[in-house]
Amino acid sequence: MPDPTPETTDSETTGTVSTGTVTDASPIVAEPIRPGVPKVDPILIADGVVRHFGGNVAVDVAHVEVPRGKITALIGPNGAGKTTFFNLLTGFDKPNSGAWTFQGHSLAGVPPHKVARRGMVRTFQLTKSLGLLSVLENMRLGATKQLGERFIPSLMPFLWSAQEKAITEKAMELLARFKLDAKADDYAASLSGGQRKLLEMARALMSDPTLVMLDEPMAGVNPALTQSLLGHILNLKREGMTVLFVEHDMHMVQTIADWVIVMAEGKVVAEGYPREVMGDPAVIDAYLGAHHDTDLGTLTGQLAVAEEVGVSGDLIEQIEGEIEAEPNLAAEPANESAVELEEEEAPGGASVDEPEEGEK
Amino acid sequence: MLDWTFLPLTLNQIISPQTIAYALAALGLTVHFGYSGLLNFGQAGFMSVGAYFFAITATRFGFPLWASVLAALVGSTAFAFLLGIPTLRLRADYLSIVTIAAAEIIRYTVQTPNLTALTGGSDGINGSEAGFEAINPIPDRVYKIGVQPYTNDDLWVIIVGWVLVGAAALFVWQLMRSPWGRIVKGIREDEDAVRALGKNVYSFKMQALIIGGVLGTLGAIINILPTSLQPDNYGTQTTFFLWTIMLLGGATTVLGPIIGAIIFWVVLSLSDGFIAVLSTANIVPLSQVQQGPVRFIIVGVALMLLVVFRPQGIFGKKKEAYFSA
Amino acid sequence: MHATRQRPFPRAAALLAAAFAAALALALTPAAAHAATTPIDPSTAKESILVRTLDNSSPPAKPLPNIPVEISGDGYDVTTATDAKGQIEVGVPEPGDYTVTIDTSKVPSGLALPPALKASRTVTVDTGNKQVLANYIFVSASAAQQSSRPSSGATSGPSSSSTSESPSSSSSGSKFSRQIWPSIVTGLVFGLLLALASIGVSLIYGTTGLNNFAHGELVTFGGLMAYTFTRLVPLPGPVAILIALVLGGVMGYVQDLAIWRPLRRKRVALIPLMIVSIGLSLALRYLFQIIYGPGSLVMPQDSSAALSIGPVHLTGANLWAAIICIVALLLVAFLLTRTNIGKATRAVSDNRALAAASGIDVERVIRIVWTAGGALAGLGGALLAYYQTVQWNSGSLILLAIFAAVTLGGLGTTYGALVGSLVIGLFINVSAIWLPANLKFVAALIVMIVILLVRPQGILGKRDRIG
Repeated sequence: MPDPTPETTDSETTGTVSTGTVTDASPIVAEPIRPGVPKVDPILIADGVVRHFGGNVAVDVAHVEVPRGKITALIGPNGAGKTTFFNLLTGFDKPNSGAWTFQGHSLAGVPPHKVARRGMVRTFQLTKSLGLLSVLENMRLGATKQLGERFIPSLMPFLWSAQEKAITEKAMELLARFKLDAKADDYAASLSGGQRKLLEMARALMSDPTLVMLDEPMAGVNPALTQSLLGHILNLKREGMTVLFVEHDMHMVQTIADWVIVMAEGKVVAEGYPREVMGDPAVIDAYLGAHHDTDLGTLTGQLAVAEEVGVSGDLIEQIEGEIEAEPNLAAEPANESAVELEEEEAPGGASVDEPEEGEK
Repeated sequence: MLDWTFLPLTLNQIISPQTIAYALAALGLTVHFGYSGLLNFGQAGFMSVGAYFFAITATRFGFPLWASVLAALVGSTAFAFLLGIPTLRLRADYLSIVTIAAAEIIRYTVQTPNLTALTGGSDGINGSEAGFEAINPIPDRVYKIGVQPYTNDDLWVIIVGWVLVGAAALFVWQLMRSPWGRIVKGIREDEDAVRALGKNVYSFKMQALIIGGVLGTLGAIINILPTSLQPDNYGTQTTFFLWTIMLLGGATTVLGPIIGAIIFWVVLSLSDGFIAVLSTANIVPLSQVQQGPVRFIIVGVALMLLVVFRPQGIFGKKKEAYFSA
Repeated sequence: MHATRQRPFPRAAALLAAAFAAALALALTPAAAHAATTPIDPSTAKESILVRTLDNSSPPAKPLPNIPVEISGDGYDVTTATDAKGQIEVGVPEPGDYTVTIDTSKVPSGLALPPALKASRTVTVDTGNKQVLANYIFVSASAAQQSSRPSSGATSGPSSSSTSESPSSSSSGSKFSRQIWPSIVTGLVFGLLLALASIGVSLIYGTTGLNNFAHGELVTFGGLMAYTFTRLVPLPGPVAILIALVLGGVMGYVQDLAIWRPLRRKRVALIPLMIVSIGLSLALRYLFQIIYGPGSLVMPQDSSAALSIGPVHLTGANLWAAIICIVALLLVAFLLTRTNIGKATRAVSDNRALAAASGIDVERVIRIVWTAGGALAGLGGALLAYYQTVQWNSGSLILLAIFAAVTLGGLGTTYGALVGSLVIGLFINVSAIWLPANLKFVAALIVMIVILLVRPQGILGKRDRIG
């Protein structure tokens, strides 16, 4: 496995203000491109963010910056630690060490709801639309600074009915844009997988975020919807928001991303404009090399099958969790004993909210 | 000859203070579990904390009625904080274990010999109703509802109790249709989703825990007014009765727990009556001592059947029973 | 009607906080002085004395009811009387020497104690000893006189002074060590017993995700079976324990087959499953009460010490319980680590979907876990019946201790359950040196809550992954 030190990547040939695939005028970098390169106008800067699970390093990002007002794709093979990195940045998980700032303010140790209030809103790999609320209620939930969310005022509807009306109007507008307005009064549970993705994104927009973080926005979305989803993401940028998304669909990355960050085994191994990055041997190696010894195919195959048969979302989540957890297996062979040790503890953390799958 | 005189008396269970108490406490549990998804297996603990604060301040320190009620509410709020701080950040099943444990801690603690002067030990506390009865406007004579006679004090508890139930139902109804209710309903399904939208999930769970606990406390006060405070009335079986009541009526409805409480107590006293009659006539081979446990078996089996076959209860919508199969 | 008003306290909040703090402080501070005259309920006490007064003037012996009894020692002083069966069980606050005195003036005339038996005597109660006997067997006065002749001058009249044959004059320092070591040893025995039940809870949680609130009833079932097969069908103890183990396993298997498996097939979620287990627990518990009655049932046993090391006296039953537990636990550890089915169980605990995907028959593993869990709980219940007594709800009484142990160790970790059980067993017994008997579980539960605050995943658990 090659050591992905900055010097060995040959992306620096692109030089400074390369036009490449940039979709808008302003430059992203002013220096030779390398992993962790400083951006001209960064919105999010992470330094030395490290997260272990047991003895395995899931995330170990030395330095990375996300450019403001651009669409940045975070790619990498399964188990590269992309989702864990998302979780760390948004406060859903705590790193073992590290610091990061958003718009110049430190976010380390800030709880997730405060991260969201500061304008950094995320979606999840597995959609978290709230199935027992109506689509409209889901949207209203996304609005911030609601007076009716406080206990005493909530009992006096006249205090917040005007605000509620304004929120509803905004929600309906967004729903119309995402072509979900006809479903406003249905339970969100009745939506298709793709519609739920759209709903989750629309709901995130209710808070007028500065940075939108999308975790695999395309996963499980029916191809008919992909195009409109791409359009929506491009629209976010047009409205001045910054987008950071995790994606496996290289076509999508090529189409809409202004900048690509590549992670493998928890580290940032490459960065650059989409076209250059895709041809970077380090990236190809990260995708192919890291997993030649694991049954990635089986796992992803399993997932596809699971989705096909319509296994519960929880199970899929679990399988996806496994895929994410793959570094355990992909790591050095010396770790075998560590894995063995953990097995002996027979942890029951997995499968908490999931019934036995039973026979189909 | 079978003695059926218990039949008309069971109808009085519909309005009995016990029904009121359980309706209020089950409504609290609905706020906890039905709307917010909090697995509170210690509602009996909230009831007993409130009841002790009320009875101790009323009888030992001579607080006026309003102050005793306030003390009870402060007590159950403190109890909610005590339980919530360590557990509300953890997975739901931790709350269930800690609440059931805490309720038992309370029950053991109040019966400690060292605290007898304050808590009355295993005998509990009598006489906390004095302040309440002092403001009874109903003329002192015997009233009859159905076949059962009531004193003016009995009636006073029942009237105040039902007014309280009505007010509590309105309160919960309004709360749950407000943006506040929207958040807790979101939390019961997926708290990470709500957190990602900038809501302080921990704070909302704590508020829900307090509100439901306070409703339990109000129920307990109604429960002890006509009788006395008995520590063993607030064991785990009380909590499980409340769960049965809530699931019977529908965990995500406001009227569910109230109607559930009525049905529960009527059915329970009917079954007690039938079993007594049948065993006196030697149709069912149960001795006097063996009749008592039968109601618990009925409740246990009912709880199992309800949760599996009708998780939405009588009034709930199947789609809204969030843990439905 | 006005209550007699005392001075209303102006600062209600301060008072309430104080009351709350008092309740907590009570659980945490040594409660050295016991209320002098409050009797301790023997069913909740850890140690008790059983006084029996019998009339043996014409065998067989007949009970002598309503004989006043005074039990005193260490600032504890109760006066009571024997019941219709001629006996009374009195709980005592802590191990130690107690003076038992009966009032012989209430004994029918013509009866007297033989000179070897004194109306007032010292009874030594060791940690965890229940129903330490103090027998008063009266004979006809003439027979007492006769037997007294050789040993001259014994009076059979009432003696108010406590004439102790072996005065125990030990300093408080050695008294503490006399208490702490027995407490530690019985605590460890209790912890091992708890572990038998906790491991079942933990395995079931690990493989199915279910927090089984009906596990206590499996323990009770084991105890009741041991009672049935020693008392009602008189079989030797070891055979009865074996039967309890086997029937416990059958119970676990049948429960899984009849309830849990169909519910898994129906894909009922975990919270309703948990509620089902509560309903089952309630129903079973009271079914036991109908069958076996509400009282506590005593196993045939011998409370003399089989092993004495310094201040520690272990009864044969406790010694054997400890040995059996250790063997059983080692066997479980062996099965889990060395056999295929054990490895499969751990794999399922670790990650069910992955285990299923790699060809493990998850249903079979769960079935075996239920059976093994039931068998361990049955064994634990049987041994527990010897350790204390057994009654319709003895399992549910220790359910919280089991949960505390499992939570302490880390939900779903097998070794965590063992460690947690030992810690909780120790805590319950050692804290009983300072705490009143009915608070013995409180300390353990408070420890659990504190652990949750500091290390929510338990001692051996791992933190969950999110997302």
